[in-house]
Amino acid sequence: MPGKNILEMKGITIQFPGVKALDGVDFSLCEGEIHSLLGENGAGKSTLIKCLTGVNRMDEGKIILDGREIHPTGPGNAIELGISAVFQEINLCPNLSVAENIFVGRQPMKHGQIDWNEINRRAEELMSRFHLDIDVTRPLSYYSTAIQQMTSIARAVDIQAKILILDEPTSSLDENEVQLLFTVMRQLKESGMGIIFITHFLDQIYAVSDRMTILRNGHLVGTYNINELGKVELVTKMVGKDMDVIFSLKRAEVKDGAEIVLKAEHIGDASKINDISLDLRKGELMGFAGLLGSGRTETAEMLFGATKTVRGDIFIDGEKIEIKQPFDAIKARLAFCPEDRKRDGIIGDLSIRENIMLAVQSRKGFMHPMTRQEQEELADKYISILGIVTPDCEKKAGELSGGNQQKVILARWMAANPKVLILDEPTRGIDIGAKAEIQRLMLEMCKDGVSVIFISSELDEIIRCSTRIIIMRDREKVAEVDGSTCTQQDILRIIAEGAA
Amino acid sequence: MTMKKTDFSGIMQSKVTWAVIAEALILLVCFLIRPDFFSISYQPSTGMLYGSLIDIVNRSAEITIISMGMTLVIALGGTDLSVGALVAVAGAIALKFLRWDVLTYTTPGDYTVYPYILVLGVPLIVCALMGLFNGFLVAKGGIQPIIATLILMVCGRGIAQILTDGKQFTTGYSPFRIIGQGSFLCLPMPIIITVIVVIAVALFTRKTAFGAFVESVGVNPSASRLSGIKAGSVILIVFMITGLLSGIAGLIYSSRIMSNDSNNAGLNFEMDAILAVVIGGTNMAGGRFSLAGTVIGSLIIRTIVTFVYYFGIVAEATMAFKALIIAVVIVLQSEPVRRYFAKRSALRQARSGGAK
Repeated sequence: MPGKNILEMKGITIQFPGVKALDGVDFSLCEGEIHSLLGENGAGKSTLIKCLTGVNRMDEGKIILDGREIHPTGPGNAIELGISAVFQEINLCPNLSVAENIFVGRQPMKHGQIDWNEINRRAEELMSRFHLDIDVTRPLSYYSTAIQQMTSIARAVDIQAKILILDEPTSSLDENEVQLLFTVMRQLKESGMGIIFITHFLDQIYAVSDRMTILRNGHLVGTYNINELGKVELVTKMVGKDMDVIFSLKRAEVKDGAEIVLKAEHIGDASKINDISLDLRKGELMGFAGLLGSGRTETAEMLFGATKTVRGDIFIDGEKIEIKQPFDAIKARLAFCPEDRKRDGIIGDLSIRENIMLAVQSRKGFMHPMTRQEQEELADKYISILGIVTPDCEKKAGELSGGNQQKVILARWMAANPKVLILDEPTRGIDIGAKAEIQRLMLEMCKDGVSVIFISSELDEIIRCSTRIIIMRDREKVAEVDGSTCTQQDILRIIAEGAA
Repeated sequence: MTMKKTDFSGIMQSKVTWAVIAEALILLVCFLIRPDFFSISYQPSTGMLYGSLIDIVNRSAEITIISMGMTLVIALGGTDLSVGALVAVAGAIALKFLRWDVLTYTTPGDYTVYPYILVLGVPLIVCALMGLFNGFLVAKGGIQPIIATLILMVCGRGIAQILTDGKQFTTGYSPFRIIGQGSFLCLPMPIIITVIVVIAVALFTRKTAFGAFVESVGVNPSASRLSGIKAGSVILIVFMITGLLSGIAGLIYSSRIMSNDSNNAGLNFEMDAILAVVIGGTNMAGGRFSLAGTVIGSLIIRTIVTFVYYFGIVAEATMAFKALIIAVVIVLQSEPVRRYFAKRSALRQARSGGAK
């Protein structure tokens, strides 16, 4: 169990112009401890981490590492002090080999030259400690995100970091990879390293942590032992209000005889999808379940024209339509919130107003511009409907928190008044309060007669909301189940065995 | 905590502000050295206004016009290196139509072999098509703009040479002279053309949603496509506009010298145009653009050159001097410097607010 304190942060206060990002926050970490840092987006988790790694300078408070006060001046300095961070966006060089990435900047030398044998041998040794038997001379980009993440961690281990910070390391890993990461984390913990773990997945917190510290709006809520606090209490403390919302959500119901809005018959392409057929009724919420790469996202992309459909037909309101590019889909009143919000969704440098008006404007074409006033009215309307937290609609969308960015993208499509809304992992990487909000909005739209396709890796979400669930495996639809009668076990069994 | 970066609402953060300040400072120095720098006089014989200021605006016409297109290209996250070569192409075609065959039409004079409409129309169309070619390589071929436009940058002058058999034609056709040397409302014609172009591009980008589309594609092409913007068409249009504007600049340039010069016409214009855009505050990485900033940028470049001529700084030092001033302007606009000033003014405001 945890030993002596290796890190203490006391009364940390960080003032950004106009707002206190952190207000007198205390945090401590023991030797051989996994300590979860929790809070909604914008609660101050990242700011605290950045303070520890010297990216943000604190206005008040002190950091004590091993009984000595430290003043980290930047990530490089933090690493020298023994604080190593692995971020969600992996900051390694994809074109260098795994081994090079581990040793970059401090390559072992022999006779004035880089000792490649030594590098590769040591890298192999490190990776095998994580039960990874891989060719470390291959470029990093050759391997999965999980292995890339392990490489970052291996680097931290090799420089003998005392403190390892893992910021959302699991958000792009699948279940097995997460388990592998946990094994590694436990190993490191045994060896006396202190680990700060940030994640949005509550189950994962309970699976590995010893203690947790909760932040809310830049304030410390408290530090608790893991068995001290149940999930519901935890969420309540994070959000600051009772979280019945998520449990009071009601599944989307379809009226008898509701017409079919979207119909796909045996669509497929060259490599990613073999054969998918589906029909979506008015006001229906259809869940897509399956593992990563099973064809969930690819199907959505084909329906929306983001990738080419080679075989099969798509019908909207019974009429066959040709969707060659997203523009055609938008014309047919389809909408699509993509999985990778940063890359495919938000246009960070533009204002919230411009982000929201974009889909409407592109359907009209640029020769029929909306006036500034129309744009502002539209933006303000959705800012208030969706509860986007912002001083005004001119703020850069890229400066919003994850949940609010997701709402902006949702607003873009709601403004376009779609018949069919496809949401690919709309709740990924956003906090639980925003998650509940998004699900509520989704269900409300169904009530208003919009048909929704909902893709998520979190089965409980899918089961909670969907009228019907399509289960995919190996680029094909393997089953279609009723959302109100099936259980997680049913779905997992179908995903595993491949039959209904 | 959505307010991680607060907008320092002060205009000290705007790059355009700094460009204006830089221009004002350079002019101030000119004024201090020579108080008559600002004097403008009317010449009844030509019906035109004369003066250093008029001259600066007049001589900056080509770069300003080209950099209107360059601003859009850069806002898309690209660059167009071919503009200088297109200036040469436009001049070569115009002179070709004016003189056609120098062996038959041996002496240059106040005549044109082909109708004037072709003299003006064909160069503009050809340049627009060349721009379209650039755009096609970028949009459909997925080639990086800097490489795609390198093709015409290199072979454009060659095409101009071929068109004129490697000869330098001269002409005395008076309607052609008007473009570069004529006047309207007492102002040199290039200024009038520049004003029209600037207004036209501003209207096209800001009164339609085209500007917003350009910025959107420049920031995030993938997200823009998924929002229904036809990124390919936007790219094609932007490069075509830039080609067309280079053609207009080419006509002005060759009308000034009443000749074509395949080797020197528009030489290094691409660099000056890129510089004008950057000084004007548009980020090379793409995104937000400012046409007004670009105009100021172009004026700054020309003011420096005029300054050098006017004060008799040795010609050899011109380039170094230009580089020096531009370096200062760019440093003044850099993020840290602007932050520093923004912070100071915010502090000062806070202090004076506290005193009350």
